[in-house]
Amino acid sequence: MQSALDPASTDAARIAELWWWMLAVSTAVVVAVLALLAVALWRGRRGGQPTSPRPAWSMVLVGGVAAPLVASVAVVVHSIQIGHAIVAAPREPAVTVDVIGRRWWWEVRYQDDGGRTIATTANEIHLPVGRPALLRLHSDNVIHSFWVPNLQGKADMVPGQVNDLWLEPRQTGIFRGQCAEFCGTQHAFMAFVVVVEPEDDFRAWLRREAAPAASPESPLEARGRDVFLAGSCRACHTIRGTTATGRTGPDLTHLASRRTLAAATIPNTVGHLGGWIADPQSVKPGALMPPTPLPPEDLRALLAYLRTLR
Amino acid sequence: MRDVPVIDASGLTRFAHRRHPLWWGIIGLVTIEMSVTANLIASYFYLAARAPAWPPQGVAPPDLLWASINVVLLLCSAFTMWWAGWGINRHSQSILTLGTGLSVLLASVVLVLRWINFTDLNVQWNDGAYGAIVWAITGFHFIHVASAIVGTAVVTLLSWRGYFTKQRQLGVVVDTLYWYFVAGIWIPFYLVLYWTPRLV
Amino acid sequence: MPPDASRDILYETWQSPPGFLGWFTHVNQRMIGKRFIITAFAFFLMAGVLGILMRVQLSFPQNDFLGPDLYNQIFTVHGTAMMFLFAIPVMEGFAIYLVPLMIGTRDMAFPRLNAFGYYVYLIGGVTFFASLLFGVAPDTGWFNYVPLAGKEYSPGLGVGIWTTMITFIEVSALTAAVELIVTILKLRAPGMALNRMPLFVWAALIMAFMIVFAMPSVIVSSSLLILDRVLDTHFFVASAGGEPLLWQHLFWFFGHPEVYIIFLPALGMISTIIPTFTQRPVFGYTALVLSLVATGFISFGLWVHHMFTTGLPHLGMSFFMAASTLIAIPSGVQIFCWIASLWGAKVSLKTPMLFIVGFFAVFVMGGLTGVMVASIPFDLQVHDTYFVVAHFHYVIIGGSVFPLIAGLYYWYPKVMGRMMSERLGWVSFWLIFLGVNITFFPMHELGLDGMPRRVYTYLSEMGWGPMNMVATAGAALLSAGFFVTLANALWSMKHGAPAGDNPWGAATLEWATTSPPQPYNHRNIPVVHSRTPVWDWRGRDERPVVGGLREDRRELLVTSVLDAEPMVVQVAPKPTPWPFVSAVVASLGFIGILIHPIFFVIGFFLVFFTYVGWFWPRRPWRED
Ligand code: HEA
Ligand code: HEA
Ligand code: HEC
Ligand code: CUA
Ligand SMILES: [Cu+2]
Repeated sequence: MQSALDPASTDAARIAELWWWMLAVSTAVVVAVLALLAVALWRGRRGGQPTSPRPAWSMVLVGGVAAPLVASVAVVVHSIQIGHAIVAAPREPAVTVDVIGRRWWWEVRYQDDGGRTIATTANEIHLPVGRPALLRLHSDNVIHSFWVPNLQGKADMVPGQVNDLWLEPRQTGIFRGQCAEFCGTQHAFMAFVVVVEPEDDFRAWLRREAAPAASPESPLEARGRDVFLAGSCRACHTIRGTTATGRTGPDLTHLASRRTLAAATIPNTVGHLGGWIADPQSVKPGALMPPTPLPPEDLRALLAYLRTLR
Repeated sequence: MRDVPVIDASGLTRFAHRRHPLWWGIIGLVTIEMSVTANLIASYFYLAARAPAWPPQGVAPPDLLWASINVVLLLCSAFTMWWAGWGINRHSQSILTLGTGLSVLLASVVLVLRWINFTDLNVQWNDGAYGAIVWAITGFHFIHVASAIVGTAVVTLLSWRGYFTKQRQLGVVVDTLYWYFVAGIWIPFYLVLYWTPRLV
Repeated sequence: MPPDASRDILYETWQSPPGFLGWFTHVNQRMIGKRFIITAFAFFLMAGVLGILMRVQLSFPQNDFLGPDLYNQIFTVHGTAMMFLFAIPVMEGFAIYLVPLMIGTRDMAFPRLNAFGYYVYLIGGVTFFASLLFGVAPDTGWFNYVPLAGKEYSPGLGVGIWTTMITFIEVSALTAAVELIVTILKLRAPGMALNRMPLFVWAALIMAFMIVFAMPSVIVSSSLLILDRVLDTHFFVASAGGEPLLWQHLFWFFGHPEVYIIFLPALGMISTIIPTFTQRPVFGYTALVLSLVATGFISFGLWVHHMFTTGLPHLGMSFFMAASTLIAIPSGVQIFCWIASLWGAKVSLKTPMLFIVGFFAVFVMGGLTGVMVASIPFDLQVHDTYFVVAHFHYVIIGGSVFPLIAGLYYWYPKVMGRMMSERLGWVSFWLIFLGVNITFFPMHELGLDGMPRRVYTYLSEMGWGPMNMVATAGAALLSAGFFVTLANALWSMKHGAPAGDNPWGAATLEWATTSPPQPYNHRNIPVVHSRTPVWDWRGRDERPVVGGLREDRRELLVTSVLDAEPMVVQVAPKPTPWPFVSAVVASLGFIGILIHPIFFVIGFFLVFFTYVGWFWPRRPWRED
């Protein structure tokens, strides 16, 4: 599901190739060392002779100095090449995304060419296939680490600095990513998905995301919106186009278009959504959203409303 | 098997001081403290290198006057320490008492001056990273001077009671060694805290 | 004076006071060393049980055996205790016990300081574990990164306990280090020039030097964190101009050498044990010493390889990558020197040798994954995943714990006077060997499949379930193996075959005295002419020793650093309770900081008064 050995980008493929090389050489080294050890012990059993110093020194020099030296040079040179390809950024990004590590979810902001934020979402990043995307990684709390194994190595989100990460997926698909730096209670369920799609689909998606929330159409949905705005929800969540502008939790403007809830912990279905709102703590103990006991009618309305936020 | 003595240790002195393991132990302690010092100074420069301005906008570097006087006082105290040891090597317990006593006195003056002039630093410890590291280094040295004072006060007391002799002076030798360190280490701290923000 | 009478006086002089209260006054190195070892193994047991709890929790997806809060405390305590309360102290304990015996002296240079270090360690370690019982253990991981460990995100007691107790326990490591350095450099038997020192002593010496230069940075970093937490400074608070990465640099500048601190003494053990079981000197003594020294030096230039993902400049990091891969050379030289030592010898595969053969297999695999993670691009993938967890358990268990258990079987007869059971040793070895591989091998794959470390559970869709289950099963074997050795050690105390002075026919000086050694270690200080003194004396009826040391007080012969020429005589102090009292008041001061900063001042003065009591010259003042 999320694997460094199933690369979907050139960078990840290079790293995976490096791994297979290193694995092959290492296997050979382990086998060689153990074989020598076995021969050493076996010769003794057979009453063989102790080594005379000369061949012994040759073994030490070849195995203990030359082999690691050659291996080191090979690894270092190759790694610097790959590393350079990963960090070097001569390309114009086709899309720039700010990703902010929060406890324990991801805020995602798309920029236009002028650097202004055009759309804010959470826990789901869409990228056009075959185009370089620049991710600017931030944190305003603790350190997190952004990692989509199929696409790229990880990069930390360190408060007080911005780290850049380039993603250039070469095939479409949905790739899971996960926070890789321990960041507190719910580090385990701080995940997200990356949706790689054809450029046109991507543009269409981005246009939708940039738009404000849909208005409720039915009375039930309208009541749901009132529940949302009257209750505690708006203190923490933003729904663009309404008076809800909270910043503690994820932006919910297009909640219904997302595939997962609670940082890719549960699928985004009505049932899970209802369970989450009623009692987030049983889904994700320690999450920074309190349980909200609502009368069944209100909850039903709220769910109906949230489902309209496509 | 029979043990045949081939080396006779009965003639070796039982009163070594510069060859005594304790002397080496104090060298070890000083080495550890030097590593701590190096870490603090490295932290200072690391924070400085990453800060947009150092000291931060609107903060003046620490005032020079009293800190420079303290450099002189500490060097004097190191000298009186040396003099005390010179005395006991000439069998003078009174020079020893006087010398160590003077060192304690000089260093106490340093502490008092430091204490009443903490405002010289021109920054509070909770004013961001600059204030924090400046206070931490100053505090680190303050505590060391304090420990050297209380330790040497005990040496003075023992000396006054006539414990130390030319032979039995290990305590004086190692205390002096530590004193040199405490007095000497102020110089790099002084240069870093008081002069680097002025020069760069 | 007839020899027996003089021996009785010597015995009387060096004996430790009996009784419960007497226990708190012991200062002899063998007492202290043994306590270090036993305490460290007790902490190993506890930290190991925590490891098993983690394995149980992770054995299948979405297990709710341990919640996130508890799991986070448990992995933090597991890692911290394994590194700070088990691995370092157990190596120090072996060094404290063995080094004076091996270099032919009667005690360490500063016996009271030694005792002080032990109590500090005991109190710090017990407090640390107690926090888990009260549910307030630290929960930020063994490297305790800020800002997570800062006041804002970890307001509770837990991180406070981590910072104060770690600083406190480091004090004990530092005292042991200085102690070892001075003892090794100044108290060697006459004739034991540096190039005749047993390799374990070399390893202990280099370990001690590394402690001296590495530990201060973790003391500084945790002190700065204490200041941040207690006095509102902002070293690490980014919004106030602080630098979270400063913590990482300081921590790893210590943390990397730390992993070699627990590795080098283990290498020294291997180099000491192999010659005994091949009955001929080790191959390439000088190369082995140089490799130890080189590892020690290079290890101070590697710390950034723990920070490859933090966004440092690529060029600078490449330097650390190169240094990290090059450290394979000193390891490789040692591996092949040992193979050459074994080549064609009639090796008797007793339990200690079994564990050393196991070392080869497990450590080499771990070392090679070390070289892999040293590659920056590859590390970007596997950093903070189970791949790294696999790497370090392979190197630590293979590289440190295997030789340590070998050492346990090897020196147990010397310490207890009885042999451990070979049969149980064999069972234990195979359980541990299979257990390690079954537990930790699948973790490589888990890491590559995207499983981050420090997660209390995972979704079943991730597909990590089966391999975790295998790992947990392996951990059961692994712990069974350690329990067999524990049972073996306990059982053999009473029922083991009597060992005699030199059951393995070894060449180093600890075997030239009774098992267990008398309080004075060696009846006479031997004079050494080669690297294998005990073999030199084989078949002879006399051996050269030092005469003229007084029996009626604790006298140690001080020799020169390079050639071990006799220089002076040190009169070592007698048993005393002061180190204990000092350690107690020091710990009051340290633990008090968690309540109020004023305890620092209180602790300072209390410790000072106990030091005065400790060092105050008692009348009659010594005249000769
Ligand atoms: C006993 C402890 C020990 C030892 C000996 C080692 C040995 C090595 N370690 Fe390991 N390491 C740890 C304990 C140890 N490590 C721990 C505890 C961590 C994790 C900390 C944490 O994050 O919690 C860690 C993490 C760690 C990292 C950071 C990974 C990450 O967090 O992303 C790196 C990266 O470079 C690394 C590298 C190495 C290297 C290159 C060696 C080398 O010294 C290995 C050298 C040995 C060999 C290579 C085998 C023998 C040689 C031959 C047989 C010759 C032939 C060889 C070749 C041809 C190559 N280690
Ligand atoms: C010395 C170091 C050491 C040792 C030996 C071990 C041993 C073990 N470790 Fe440890 N581990 C670490 C150091 C060590 N670990 C560190 C530093 C971390 C990182 C922590 C962090 O992320 O902050 C870690 C993390 C870690 C994790 C990852 C947690 C996570 O990231 O979420 C896991 C998971 O499986 C694990 C499991 C185990 C297991 C099953 C053992 C087993 O080998 C344990 C088996 C042992 C026993 C069950 C005890 C038996 C003992 C006796 C019976 C007494 C013996 C007495 C005599 C022999 C006389 N460890
Ligand atoms: C105290 C702040 C707070 C309040 C009040 C709050 N939330 Fe949340 N909410 C959060 C946080 C924080 C998260 C992210 C939790 C996580 O994934 O760890 C979240 C997540 C969510 C999500 C999942 C979003 C996603 O994309 O994963 C939904 C849906 C949600 N909240 C709805 C609500 C509703 C409806 C209410 C009111 C009944 C509400 N929240 C009240 C803080 C709050
Ligand atoms: Cu965010 Cu781990
Ligand atoms: Cu390292």
